[in-house]
Amino acid sequence: MSTVLKIQDLTKIYTDQAVKQTVLENVNLEIDEREFLCVLGPSGCGKTTLLRCIAGFEEYSGKILVDGEERKTPGTDRIMVFQDFNQLFPWKTVEKNIQYPFVIKGIRNKAELHEISSEALKKVKLEKYAKYYPFQLSGGMKQRVAIAKALALKPKIILMDEPFAALDAMTRRDLQNELLKIADEESSTFIFITHNIQEAIILGKRIIVLTKGGEAVCDKRNTMERPVTPASEGYGALWQELRDALYIHP
Amino acid sequence: MKKPKKERIRALVVKIVFVILMLSLWEFVAVSEMFGSSSKLIFPTLEDIAAAFIKNFTKGYAGNSMWIYIGNSLLLLLEGLAIGILLSFILSGLSIISRTVYAIYDLLVSVFDLLPGVALLPVVIIIFGIKPGVIVFLVVHAVIWPMSRNILDGFKAVPAIYIEAGLNIGLRKASLLLGVYLPASVSYIVSGLKVAWARAWRGLISAEMIFGVASVPGIGLFINQMRTNMKNAEMYATLIVIIIIGLLVQYGILDPIEKNTVRKWGMSR
Repeated sequence: MSTVLKIQDLTKIYTDQAVKQTVLENVNLEIDEREFLCVLGPSGCGKTTLLRCIAGFEEYSGKILVDGEERKTPGTDRIMVFQDFNQLFPWKTVEKNIQYPFVIKGIRNKAELHEISSEALKKVKLEKYAKYYPFQLSGGMKQRVAIAKALALKPKIILMDEPFAALDAMTRRDLQNELLKIADEESSTFIFITHNIQEAIILGKRIIVLTKGGEAVCDKRNTMERPVTPASEGYGALWQELRDALYIHP
Repeated sequence: MKKPKKERIRALVVKIVFVILMLSLWEFVAVSEMFGSSSKLIFPTLEDIAAAFIKNFTKGYAGNSMWIYIGNSLLLLLEGLAIGILLSFILSGLSIISRTVYAIYDLLVSVFDLLPGVALLPVVIIIFGIKPGVIVFLVVHAVIWPMSRNILDGFKAVPAIYIEAGLNIGLRKASLLLGVYLPASVSYIVSGLKVAWARAWRGLISAEMIFGVASVPGIGLFINQMRTNMKNAEMYATLIVIIIIGLLVQYGILDPIEKNTVRKWGMSR
């Protein structure tokens, strides 16, 4: 598989604070096409900053290349799904939220726009909620719409910053299963940040553990047969390995 | 969230009972003539005020019915409101796109928002003379600063996540302004419209009372003419007209805007 994302010597220093803070220091990373990468790491290790740099929300030194081309600003080839439930525009209905990026691109044909949003909503099983406003949805449903919105754009990379962290265990489990199915069907590459080792093992085909400064102290391929459960062969060993990496390099 | 029907009916009944009580009190004071010989002048009876109200519209004053006064005032008001609102959107929008414009415009808003329009009147008359354009100028002054302050505050309060979500889907500068900043600030903009409308209406009436332009007689001038001629019932009847117009704008225009935007989107209760 070819490399879709290449990060070279990425350094991010926050200078708008009293003391300069180096969050990422010379980070190098390559991610293959259609890979599902889970990023684990303690709080403050730079996971979210790494994602924000890839999304183009932060200024940094170093290079971020998507399909060999440098990216410095946000773009629809890298769509972010935030942790915050309130990432949908409250003044647009669910379907209009999904259609809006296409309207910006110049698509005005209503039938075409409807088809785009219907197809995306079908993937997250929310076809019946197309006319709802975000405030009428639960947290889990909002995250589903955000994922549908990202999928509709067919980006090269979908960046997910702990999107299920604030959900209850059952909804979280449902969404993990849906995401696994979607990831298998879609051609996008997923980069998924989580604090949860179990979630990383269930979702990730590759799992990295970051430590302070964004250094990857563990980079594992997850070859376990899906769906992964705690009873899967190799689950315990991988869980222990990731846990050790997290706690030995806090 | 919509208030329960029972609660809305209760609030309406409370308001109606309050108004009836106030009117009864007024009528009692008027009929009892408790303020002596000048009592009838200060408190004309409700019947006199009602008759004057009808007379204002049927006969009017100096050959002009109340409709002409209302029309003139509303035309000047609409002109001033349109210019003021448009300018506040353009200048506040530019402030979001350029930091330099923001710094200058923020200062201007802070300075001029504190200046009452009436205080500017002598200066404006010296520069422009006495003509309807001066009233429009004062209405623009009454509208532009509170409206801009609210728009700027609204822009500053837009959650970062909306801006980033907008950037992520390809919005930049002007499209980000129209696609995210404006809709996300609607609750502030509606609130600014309410303040701007109230200030404009009051500013207009004040200006007309101080120097009513005879060629374009407005409601303020009418009140002043009634005062000069000791026609107090007509004066009170005109105040009622001012209140009715104010309520019509509030409930007929501003409330529906709020209902069909921020309340519909769940951004306000």
